Amino acid sequence: MRSTLRTLMGLIAVLVLALGVAGCGGDDGGDEGGATGGGEDQAAVQEGGTATFNYASFPDYLDPAMSYTVAGWQALIPTYTPLLTYRREAGAAGAQLMPGLAEAMPEVTNGGKTYTFKLREGLKYSDGTAVKASDFEHTIKRVITLESGGAPFYVGAIEGAEAYQKAGKAKGDITGIEADEATREITVNLTEASGQFPFIVSMDFGGLVPGDTPFEILTKKPPPGVGQFKITKVEGNRAFTLEKNENFPEIPGLPPAKLDKIQINVVKNAERQVRDVLTNEADYLDDPSAGDALQEFQQQATDRYKEQTTNSTYYYFLNHRTPPFDDEKVRQAVAYAVDERAVVRIYGGLMEPGCNFLPPGMEGHQKVDPCPWGDPGQPPDLEKAKSLIKEAGAEGEKVLVWGNDEDDSRQNAEYLASAMKGIGLDARPKIIEGSVFFTTVGNQRTKAQAGFTNWFQDFPHPGNFLFLVAGDTIQPTNNQNFGNVDDPEINTAIKELNPKELSEASDGYAEIDRKLVERAHVVPYGSKKIPLITSERIAFENVLFHPVLQADYTTFALKEGEQ
Amino acid sequence: MATEPTVKPTDPLTATPATLDPAQVDPAAPPATGPWKLAWRRLRRNKVALAFGVLFVLLILSALAAPLWAEHVANTTPDRNRLADQIIVDGKPRDIVSVRGIPMGPTWRGEYFLGADENGRDVMVRLLYGARNSVFIGLTAALITTVLAVLLGLLAGYFRGWIDALISRGLDVLWAFPVLLLGIALGVSLATEGLSIGPITVAGNSLWIPTLIIGFVGIVYLARPVRGQVLGLREKEFIEVARAQGMSDWRIMTRELLPNLFSTILVFFPLIMANAILLEAALSFLGAGVQAPSPSWGTMIDTGLDRLRGAPHLTIAPGVMLIMTVLSLNIFGEGVRDALDPRAKVRLEH
Repeated sequence: MRSTLRTLMGLIAVLVLALGVAGCGGDDGGDEGGATGGGEDQAAVQEGGTATFNYASFPDYLDPAMSYTVAGWQALIPTYTPLLTYRREAGAAGAQLMPGLAEAMPEVTNGGKTYTFKLREGLKYSDGTAVKASDFEHTIKRVITLESGGAPFYVGAIEGAEAYQKAGKAKGDITGIEADEATREITVNLTEASGQFPFIVSMDFGGLVPGDTPFEILTKKPPPGVGQFKITKVEGNRAFTLEKNENFPEIPGLPPAKLDKIQINVVKNAERQVRDVLTNEADYLDDPSAGDALQEFQQQATDRYKEQTTNSTYYYFLNHRTPPFDDEKVRQAVAYAVDERAVVRIYGGLMEPGCNFLPPGMEGHQKVDPCPWGDPGQPPDLEKAKSLIKEAGAEGEKVLVWGNDEDDSRQNAEYLASAMKGIGLDARPKIIEGSVFFTTVGNQRTKAQAGFTNWFQDFPHPGNFLFLVAGDTIQPTNNQNFGNVDDPEINTAIKELNPKELSEASDGYAEIDRKLVERAHVVPYGSKKIPLITSERIAFENVLFHPVLQADYTTFALKEGEQ
Repeated sequence: MATEPTVKPTDPLTATPATLDPAQVDPAAPPATGPWKLAWRRLRRNKVALAFGVLFVLLILSALAAPLWAEHVANTTPDRNRLADQIIVDGKPRDIVSVRGIPMGPTWRGEYFLGADENGRDVMVRLLYGARNSVFIGLTAALITTVLAVLLGLLAGYFRGWIDALISRGLDVLWAFPVLLLGIALGVSLATEGLSIGPITVAGNSLWIPTLIIGFVGIVYLARPVRGQVLGLREKEFIEVARAQGMSDWRIMTRELLPNLFSTILVFFPLIMANAILLEAALSFLGAGVQAPSPSWGTMIDTGLDRLRGAPHLTIAPGVMLIMTVLSLNIFGEGVRDALDPRAKVRLEH
C-alpha cells in the first residue's frame, strides 16, 4: 500500500522495538517505549460514551471490498471481520494470525494448495441476519467484480478466480471456492502453494458481507458486517459515524468495543487537526503530519504523544533501463551520495534511518550492518561517489528526479536532485500532482529515471515488499517496480521462497534484502514513524497501536468520569 | 482638384508643434509644451509615485544582482540543499535545519542572511532569484498581453462587423472564465507534459509555461478598452482624412491609430505587469506556476505556511517582497495615469 497525504499510510508495524532495533538512528524526541496497550498500566475506564476522531481526508471507500487506505481500514477493520485476523497485541505477537470468523486456523492439505476453514457457529451480521459459508465466495466476487485494488491478491491465488474475472459475470462461479452450509465449511483451492495466502485472507477485503450485497460500491450505505462496530451514518465526504454493534458475537481474542459511538469528522486544516486534540475538542487524529502544531503538542502533552515506527520502506528508485542508472556504478554513486541525516530532517525526525529494503519488524529483516554505502549517522562519502560517476563516464548526464507535490515527496525529490548535482550529474527535480504520480512514473513511456517512492505493508510477509523489485512484476503501465529491477538471481530466490513457511524462509529473505542493497538496485533510507496522539479524555495507555492494524478503535475508552 | 489639408492626419493629443500649420502658430506666444513633456512634469510633481518607481527599479537591480549575491556573499546556489550541515554563527555551530526539520532563522550576515528554508537552502538567495523569475514573468507576460490585446482591439475596433463580433465573443468567452481557475487548469496540465505546438516545444518546468499562460489570460483586460478607444478614434476627422488620402487600413492602424493608443498602453502596462506578478505568485502557490527547483515567491510562501510559527521568515520574506513589488508597480502606474490624463479613471477589473 502506498502512502500519500490523501490516501495515507499503509498498515503499520511497531515490531521494531520488540525486535530490538530501537537503538538505530538519532531521534531526539518521542517516546520509543513500544506500543501502547497490551495490558500494562491500564487506566480505569468507563464503558460507553462518545468520542470524536479527526481525519485529514475522507476514506477512499467505506466498503470493505474497495477500501485500500489506512483511513478506510482503520474504520473498517473493527466493522468487517475476515475469516482470519491478527492477535490484538502490541509488538511481534500482534503480527501473528488467529481465527477471526473461522472457528480455528485452516486445515492445509494438497501440498499447501487447499485451505479448509470452518465458520463459527451462530454468527450474525450487524443487521441480525445469519452469516453463511457461501458469503465468503460472494465477498471475494465483489472484490473482483468491482475491480478493487485488492482483486489481484485473489485473482492470482485462487483457482478459477481468473476465469471468473475474464467471464465478467458477477453472479458466475469461482470454481476454487466451495462452501457447505450444513457443515459451515469453506474450501479454497489455490493455483499454487503460497505462504502468503493466510495473510491475504486476513486482509479487510475479505471481511464478510451478506450474500445478497449488491455488486456496487456501497460507501454511501455500507453493508452490514460482523464487527465490534457498525457504520450507521455517512454524511457526504465530511463525516461518518461508528456505533457499537450489539450483535457482535463472543470471539476469543476480539473483545467488544468500549465506546458506544465514534464520530469521525474530516478536518482539512493541518493545524486545527492537531490543535483540536490538544484542546480536547477531538479525541484522536489519524496520522498527524509533522509541523509546528505537532511539535507544540509534543511539548505540551508528552503523556499522550508517542511515535511508532511502521513496517514501511522509503526508498529512491533508479531506473535500470534508462541511462545513466543502467550502470551499476552510477547507482552505487547515488547510494554513496544520499545523506540519511538529511532525509531524517525532511520528515521532521519522523523517520527511522536504515539501509535495508525489508523494514525492521518484518520477518526476514536482518540489519545490513555496516551499510555498504556508509554509516547512516555520518556524512556521505561524496568523493567516492564522484569518482564512481567519473569511472562510469556519467558526468553531466541529465537526470529528472520525480516526486509529487506533497511536502515530503517534493522535498525529497529536490534533495535527491541536489545530491546528484553535487556528485556531477545534471539533475533536476520533476514535481507532479500526487494523484497521478504513481501512475505516471509507473508508465514505461514516462521513462522516469529516478525518484521518490515508499511502501507500507499490506500484511506482515516479505513477499508483500519484494514484489516491488521482482522482475516478473514489471509491466508497461501501472508498474510498481519503478526501477525495473530484474536480477535473475533475486527473481529465482523470491519464487523459491514463496511456498515456504515464513519461519523457514526468513534467512532466505534476509539474503535477498542484502543483495538488493549491495547491488544498489534501490536506495532505501528508512521507515516512517507515525505520531500517535489522543485527547485527555481518552485513556491513552489503554489504546492498542497494533503492529499491522494500527490504532485499534475497539480499545479506545473514556477515562472514568469523562462525559 | 483636391486641396492640400491644412491639418496633417495626426491626432492633436500627440501632435508636436512641428506638425501644426505654421499659420496657426502665434509667434508672440511662448513655445508650446508637448503632451509627453507635460506628463513628465506632472509625474515629477507626484513624489509618492516617483518614490515607488525608484523602489521598483531597485527591486529589479537587486534581482539582477542575484548571482553576485549568491556567489560572492552567500557562497551557495539557489537550489543547493544543505539539510544536515552546520554553520558557525557568533562563534557557535548551528544546525541549518534541526533534526525536527525546523530551518534556521535569519543570521543577518552573508550566509543565510534571511535564514534557511526546509531543504536548507538560503532564503535570501532564493528570494533574489525568485525576484528574477517574477520580474521576467511579469514583464514578458505583460508584453505578450499588450501586443496581443492591442492587435485584437485594433482589428475589432477598426474593422467592426464580423471581425469585431468574432473577436468580441472570443473575449467574452475568455472573460467568462475565472482567471485563476483557467490559469490553474492550464498550468497543471502543461506542467506535466510541457507544450508542443509544431516545431515549438516548451518543457513542463520552463518559465515560459506560466509566462504564456499569464500573458494569454490577461488579454481580455486590455483588449476591451483598446477596442473601445479605437471605435471612438476611427470616427475622428484625422482618420477620415487619412482614408481620403488613400492610406491602407494597415497603415491607418499602425501610423494613425496606434500612436494614439500609447498613452492608454502606458497607463495599463505597469498595472498589467503587477497583475501578472500577482497571478504568477498565486499560480505558484497553488503548484501550477513556476516549477521546482526554480524559486518563486508564491512557492516559497506555500512551503512556508506549515511552519508559520516555528519559521515565520519562510513566509514573511517572500510576502514582503511580493507586496513591495506589486505596490510599487500599482502606485507608479497610477502616477503615470494621472500624469498622462488627470481625468482618466483607468482600473484593471477582476
